[in-house]
Amino acid sequence: MVISQLGYYSLIFGLLTSVFIFFNSSIQLKKNNLVISNKTFGLIGFQFFFVFISFISLIYSFIISDFSNETVYNNSHTTKPLFYKITGTWGNHEGSLLLWLLVLTGVLLGFIFKSRNEPNNYRLLTTLFHQIIVIGFFIFVLKTSNPFNEIFPVQKEGLGLNPILQDPALGIHPPILYLGYVGTSIIFSAALASMISNYVNKSWAKNIKFWILFSWIFLTGGILLGSIWAYYELGWGGFWFWDPVENVSLMPWLSLTALLHCILTLEKREFFKKWTIVLCIITFALSMVGTFLVRSGILNSVHTFANDPSRGIYILTFLLVLVLLSFVIFITYENKNFTQKSEIFTLSKETAVLINNWFILYFLSVVLIGTIYPIFLDVILDEQISVGPPFYNKLILPFLIPFVLFMSIGPSLKWIKTNFKIGVKSFLVIVFTLILSLITVYYIGEKNIFVLLLFVGFFYLLFKSLDQFREKTKNFAQIFSHTGFSLLLISILLNSFSSKEIVKNIQVGESFTLKNEKIIFKKIAVEKEKNYESIIGFFEVLDEKNKIINLQPEIRIYNEPEMATSEASIKTTLFKDRFITINIIKDQNFFNVRYQHKPFMIWIWISTLIIMLGGMFAIFRKNKEVNI
Amino acid sequence: MKSKILLTIKILIISILISLSLKNITMASTFSEEQTINITKNLRCLICQGQTIHESNSDFAESMKKYIKGELENGKTDEEIFSSLVEKYGQWIVYDPGISRNTLLLWALPLLLFLIGGAIIGKRILKKYE
Repeated sequence: MVISQLGYYSLIFGLLTSVFIFFNSSIQLKKNNLVISNKTFGLIGFQFFFVFISFISLIYSFIISDFSNETVYNNSHTTKPLFYKITGTWGNHEGSLLLWLLVLTGVLLGFIFKSRNEPNNYRLLTTLFHQIIVIGFFIFVLKTSNPFNEIFPVQKEGLGLNPILQDPALGIHPPILYLGYVGTSIIFSAALASMISNYVNKSWAKNIKFWILFSWIFLTGGILLGSIWAYYELGWGGFWFWDPVENVSLMPWLSLTALLHCILTLEKREFFKKWTIVLCIITFALSMVGTFLVRSGILNSVHTFANDPSRGIYILTFLLVLVLLSFVIFITYENKNFTQKSEIFTLSKETAVLINNWFILYFLSVVLIGTIYPIFLDVILDEQISVGPPFYNKLILPFLIPFVLFMSIGPSLKWIKTNFKIGVKSFLVIVFTLILSLITVYYIGEKNIFVLLLFVGFFYLLFKSLDQFREKTKNFAQIFSHTGFSLLLISILLNSFSSKEIVKNIQVGESFTLKNEKIIFKKIAVEKEKNYESIIGFFEVLDEKNKIINLQPEIRIYNEPEMATSEASIKTTLFKDRFITINIIKDQNFFNVRYQHKPFMIWIWISTLIIMLGGMFAIFRKNKEVNI
Repeated sequence: MKSKILLTIKILIISILISLSLKNITMASTFSEEQTINITKNLRCLICQGQTIHESNSDFAESMKKYIKGELENGKTDEEIFSSLVEKYGQWIVYDPGISRNTLLLWALPLLLFLIGGAIIGKRILKKYE
């Protein structure tokens, strides 16, 4: 109870500090007193500290199951394991917004610390703009989503956490995702500041590049964790559903990816200044759009836990204010910043980056329109439509082929101008790609020529990326991320075309077959855990070599709240996952068994990790010659 | 140089055409387990949160699966099944929004933006040669 109070007042102090920092930095800017004194730096530290204290108190309230706190009461239970009590802190609307705030103030502190050698007016302006966002979110948390509301009389027991959220991957998914998602805020503030302080140049690019990579790596990691979780927890063996909430994390990712390539060009050649700033603004706006869509509960999706219009209206208004602000600043300072003459040669790295951005922004527009169009149609015409995988596949897949082809040749182009010639080696790569693609398509038994073309494009990208290892000046960042990306596309394609599945209603003792495998339902057992009861099915799979593989899918019946979940049992090998889930059929002795072969599943995760590794190379490759 | 750009445009047009022709390559008329899965994967389970009929084990989904199997056994085509379901439950039930008066913008807008983007970039690159 006391701790809860402490958390609440800490938040208020945080807000007061923000207001103080805001005015303090405005005065400093006005007086042209351009020193970031220890005072300002200390204040930013304090601001973070207050949010941190508040966050810790909420975690503490969850740990001790303080049911005088409404958030704890709504989302926790005494029988829950400690780990899920802690992760329950951000597994709900109020707590996750407190996490938002924590990351938001944290990145500013990090930024000020890391930018010690940058001009002070730029740092002060960034602080100023960032405070606008911080204050906005402080008020949002305190007004509409206070995590420290009290309940009277104090309840003895809480309502519990949604069982599908009681999972290790999902426990750490929000913090990782938010580091990326909210990390984009500092890019936004810094972009506005750089315009006003006339600092959109190579050194700025170098400075902000770190934060772009930082957000990009964590966002990639967050999406990866979410996908892994969906794969084994939601029980039907998919990892990406084009669900609106997945889309809102993909949109800033796409935008960040485009921005990443732009910022490298800016750093190297002082090109695309205007466009880079626009992308910085777009990226954060997309994060805000995502927050709005998720937190307003406007989406029909597996992720929607919150339903409160006032929250939605607040975020939407705030988003509009921020966009308007950046628009005004952009127009006002446009001529001051962007007077350079641009000259682009058709065959140059600059052109490659432009084409990269062209396609990525197209993919972004498909995802954005696919996500929000149904909402508008519903509001305006009162017509409900579903925009699902067929839409995205049709609009994205055909464009992936030219995209990966450009991506294959882009890195081998030079800045300014390239003289291109096709040697024997490149010819051999093409022949090899074609042969391998034909073999693959034959192997998976797909006669569609379009699928063949996809494989050709993806394999070509893989070989061209690997080919970069032979170059004298190796750019590991680019090699790893591009190789990872091509592997990702190949594994997804193989996975979606050669997954096999069978659904049967069977009793204990019965068996069925999939391809050359025999699946035997051995027995059933019931176990009691602290917070759930578990029905475990014991299955034996005899593979083509008659080797026995044991699988134990579960049905968990959670007590608080009462809810049944199905836990998949998965055996992973390098080439395929064996995936099994069971479900109870009402009033019968039969179980509904779903058995699947998911080829190359592990490669989807590994290739995403390789992509992230590329990003890390880019961060740690410090003063060397940059060459995207 | 222009030939390179022309080539690019050609590649794009061809890939778009191929993708559009994809719709015509559907399964053979003989009814199979896979056909049922293909249909149920494109239907929304109306009582679930963002799940397809195929993925769901709810009563609604189970009865839909039975219904679709029955219809396929009766020799109905995929399109007939989809249109009868849309008539009954509305467009909300199918995950493929299809092209209609309401969804024209949905499909056209991204493509339009792609063309505009291409025009801007093309102009910028070609300006050099004037």
